[in-house]
Amino acid sequence: MNALPSASASDPAQHAALPAHLARGWFARLIRTPSGLIGSVLTLAILLMAAAARWVFPEDPLAMVAEPFLRPLADPALPLGSDMLGRDILAGIFHGARASLAIAATATLIAVVLGVGGGLLGGYFGGWLDRAITRVTVFFQTVPPFLFALAIVAIVQPSVATISLAIGLTSWPSLARLVRAESLRLRHSEMVHASVALGASDLRIIWRDVLPNAMTPVLVSTSLLVANAILTESALAFLGLGDANVASWGNMVGAGREVLRTDWYIATLPGIAILIAVLALNLLGDGLAAALDPHSSH
Amino acid sequence: MNRLMLALRGALQLIGVALGIATINFFLLRLAPGDAVQVIAGESGSASPEYIAALRAQFGLDQPLWVQFCKYILKLAQFDLGYSFRQGTSVANLILARLPATLLLMGTAVALAALLGGLLGTLAAYRAGRWPDLLISCLALFCFAIPVFWIGLVFVVIFSVWLDWLPVGGMYSVSAGLSGWALAVDIGRHLILPAATLALFYMAIYTRLMRATLIEIRRKDFVRTAVSRGVRPVRLFRVHILRNAALPFVTMLGVQIGSLIGGAVVVETVFSWPGLGRLAFDALIQRDFNVLLGILLCSSILVVLVNWIVDALYRLLDPRVRTA
Amino acid sequence: MVRDDCGRNDRRCQSPVTCLRGFNALRVSNVSAFAFHTPSWLARSAFAALFAAGLSAALPVHAATPKSGGTLTVIAQPEPVILTAALSTSSPTATFSTNVFDGLIEYDNDFNLKPGLAEKWSLSADGKTLTLNLRHGVNWHDGKPFTAGDVKWTLENVWKKYHPRNQALFANADKVDTPDDHTVIIHFTKPSLAVLSSLNSNGAQVLPRHLYEGTDILNNPYNNKPIGTGPFKFKEWNRGSHLVLERNPEYWDKGKPYLDRVVYRVIPDGGARTAALEKGEVQYASLSPLPARDAQRLSQLPNIRLQTKGYEWLSPWLFLSVNVERPHLKDVRVRQALYHAIDREAYRKVVWFGYGKSAISPVVSTLTQFHDATVPQYAFDVKKAEALLDEAGATRGANGERFRITIDYLPYGDEFRRSAEFLKQAFKRVGVEADVRNQDTPSYTRRIYGDRDYDITVQWYSGFADPQVGVTREYQSDSIGKNIPFSNGPGYRNAEVDKLVAQAQGSGDQAERVKLFKALQQQVQKDLPSLPLLELQFFTVEASDLNDTVSGVDQVYGSFKNFWYTDPSKH
Repeated sequence: MNALPSASASDPAQHAALPAHLARGWFARLIRTPSGLIGSVLTLAILLMAAAARWVFPEDPLAMVAEPFLRPLADPALPLGSDMLGRDILAGIFHGARASLAIAATATLIAVVLGVGGGLLGGYFGGWLDRAITRVTVFFQTVPPFLFALAIVAIVQPSVATISLAIGLTSWPSLARLVRAESLRLRHSEMVHASVALGASDLRIIWRDVLPNAMTPVLVSTSLLVANAILTESALAFLGLGDANVASWGNMVGAGREVLRTDWYIATLPGIAILIAVLALNLLGDGLAAALDPHSSH
Repeated sequence: MNRLMLALRGALQLIGVALGIATINFFLLRLAPGDAVQVIAGESGSASPEYIAALRAQFGLDQPLWVQFCKYILKLAQFDLGYSFRQGTSVANLILARLPATLLLMGTAVALAALLGGLLGTLAAYRAGRWPDLLISCLALFCFAIPVFWIGLVFVVIFSVWLDWLPVGGMYSVSAGLSGWALAVDIGRHLILPAATLALFYMAIYTRLMRATLIEIRRKDFVRTAVSRGVRPVRLFRVHILRNAALPFVTMLGVQIGSLIGGAVVVETVFSWPGLGRLAFDALIQRDFNVLLGILLCSSILVVLVNWIVDALYRLLDPRVRTA
Repeated sequence: MVRDDCGRNDRRCQSPVTCLRGFNALRVSNVSAFAFHTPSWLARSAFAALFAAGLSAALPVHAATPKSGGTLTVIAQPEPVILTAALSTSSPTATFSTNVFDGLIEYDNDFNLKPGLAEKWSLSADGKTLTLNLRHGVNWHDGKPFTAGDVKWTLENVWKKYHPRNQALFANADKVDTPDDHTVIIHFTKPSLAVLSSLNSNGAQVLPRHLYEGTDILNNPYNNKPIGTGPFKFKEWNRGSHLVLERNPEYWDKGKPYLDRVVYRVIPDGGARTAALEKGEVQYASLSPLPARDAQRLSQLPNIRLQTKGYEWLSPWLFLSVNVERPHLKDVRVRQALYHAIDREAYRKVVWFGYGKSAISPVVSTLTQFHDATVPQYAFDVKKAEALLDEAGATRGANGERFRITIDYLPYGDEFRRSAEFLKQAFKRVGVEADVRNQDTPSYTRRIYGDRDYDITVQWYSGFADPQVGVTREYQSDSIGKNIPFSNGPGYRNAEVDKLVAQAQGSGDQAERVKLFKALQQQVQKDLPSLPLLELQFFTVEASDLNDTVSGVDQVYGSFKNFWYTDPSKH
């Protein structure tokens, strides 16, 4: 899937280093924009939901606790009804937040580590390292990312670990390109020249000068990567490649797909959860981009 | 002469990329447990050792791996993508048979999305901060966040079953036996829902891209200068803004065309559209590696070619790149 | 709730109209209320007369003569790989090819054999000689005559070499005589009574010798553009989209088929299939093409009918294969405990929406000749399960867990996945923690039959009309670990059972074979390497203006030659 472009232009030159006095107070700016505010609130709500899941619904969400196909609001104990095996849908959504977010977070972590690492190394050192890393990113680019994730998951057993790995492995190239462009630019900046003149080691330069300033596009991309991971995971589950041992939103939608016509709520309610989560993360990304944008009028 | 050398270098690069990808994919796919014979034996519901051995021999899977690899590379050198024993036809035939369907679907969806997205994005940019912008931005966000398969199913239920305006799936009405103009119309009717489903998602991307780009550009100094000089809006848009906005737009277009092959697996599944994405997915499940390798190879070549074209367009649109 | 022969507790069955449409009242395997030769339409209208008072206006009045014309659109899911069942036993191939190829023998609705390409057949007293008298005046679709030579050639070069089931069935056929063009005499070294159960179009498909002899049979192009003698001729195959068959005007069964064309459409998505059937774009789909819930909803519509007959020949049963070489599972008490822990009735109702019947033996109850109802029973009893587990030494640990196992399920549909999830909960109740594993077909078959790297798996086999053909493979020891899909998954080795199977295979006395198979059931239900859960009930979704859609117990793999529309001009 394509990453949604952030609210600022995709030209990396625009993500200039944030002047120090603007770096402070970015959070305040974030919540002052409507998208940033709504995004943060919603994201927080979902995180809370995931954290509280074990506490609010201590029982196994996959346990068959009621008769199947119970309509929402028909039974006060099960406010969102039950699915085709008699499992509580609300419990599923709460626990699903845990699973889906865990998968998305792990995948994003993998993507960020690989992407930032690869981009930094390639952009800063240049030469054969850069060429090698570029070749690798080009290879990953040539395979349609969803198909690639599909292939990895289908070949290895679908489980939380393999799904995260597959999604992470297929989303790092775009981030790497971004970071590479950033580090290429920063390498020739005065700040780095000064550090080199002072005799700082490469590692120190990367760590203190290049990395913090390259993080801006990374931060913005992160929330989008998480959103993308959630969508990819649900698509994989739809195609039958989800982990059957956890209650994840994708699994629930996939299971409810068969009975969409007669019991629409089984697939729709988790679908709405996915929608809200992705929406929240995108809004957060927008807000971050605006807050960290050096051209903002403050 | 310089151009010729460039072209030659480019061609060599392409061959290098293709070979590299073919090699990597060949060995990566072999990591998958089971093979095509296992699948067929499994689907048959019963099998005997002799039957399995006979199939293995027929498929050429009983030879050592490096022999199979050499044979594959040799065939590639002769532009032969191999044979699919499962489908009983050459891989090239299979891909060519499904290519028009894929092109039609993706082409329509991307064109629709680019057009609509561009328009909406422009509108949103020019009314930035006011309610049309808010509306369009919300719409774009929504369209991006909705799971594609879910909205596809909903479309089928609403337009196909409840309203009975459009057919349920497939590419054309087989039993009707239409041809000529009637067939084109029939295909068109079948195309509407899948293309719309895909287009919604892409449109969100283009809308936001256009909006962000335009806002960025309008803030730039040279635009402000032009405005202060009294350049009229239409000329301003055409001469100054459009060319600059085109760059990221073209980049995104390039990325999407690159993912043409195999990019619409989910939509093709929901609407039973006989495209290459679904073919790749089926080939994966059936361990029909020749087909999968063929599709991946075509996809990679397409991406490289598109990258070239985008680079060329860049040079055309942005003189600074030429001198860089 | 009314419970009828459908085997479903369903308010739909309360209405004589909807129940009548299922024609289940006619499924009387024990009591034959209607003579063998009564045309099914007559039987049905007789039954309808009995219910005259309760009939609504919607019940179609069957005309005496079938009408010709119309195109039938059918769902082909998944798409077949090869178009002749002589070389493949997969269902998509079976449902397609039996319209192009005839069988030597056909079935009626009571497991009785009817003439097909063979007008007469006889088995010698010692069971070692099978004589087939073939029909005269039958031609292949390309005009060449169908002769005994075709049968002989196919038996010797195709069935014995490539067909998975027939390799075993005809293994002892050492000589085939064709004294004239229409007589085939097959000599067996040892009696093979099971052969008679597999001479229909799916079991023994005859290929045209003049197109196959001397060629590379597996790569022969006619595998994908088949030439048969059947009611329909192959027209085209647009891969990934559709297949087309056209009426054979020179068919030997005069007047048939009634349909002009048959179009098979490939529709991968279940929801799309439902929509297509609902809108009438597709008029026929067999082997439970839809989620049962959708099927229930569709059956309420006036233009759609749900059919459960026509699958009896398959005798399918769903079971748990338990890997008897695993630490805890090697103890029979543990296996018994797991069996006691499963509420089969609840399982049937929740996962299969009430379709099917709880199974007590691998031989299903509809196969009345061979089924043994006196096998050891394992009723749903959680306390007993816990007691057995404690007795076997698998006591609960500190966290309440006795031991952990994995459940793999056949990756063929959501029902198997839900079965695994259901079992996970059932086992959890008695302290056995289960992890459900998901994988695709080649990984699955390799894991279960090759590497044997599994604990428990959910799957189903077709038992067919003779246990030797479909049931014994789960228990015979010669296929263990050889990576032969759908053979002995548990790794069960019992010399007694092997002996019983061998004896039944070579016996010429049907009564003796029945005794042997009953003894087999007693033994395997005592040893429990495999836990039968459900006698599967498939259903067909049909347009209600389609008539005569069930001609035999093997209709699922039978032809459409008897189908006709009430009003062909609408199709």
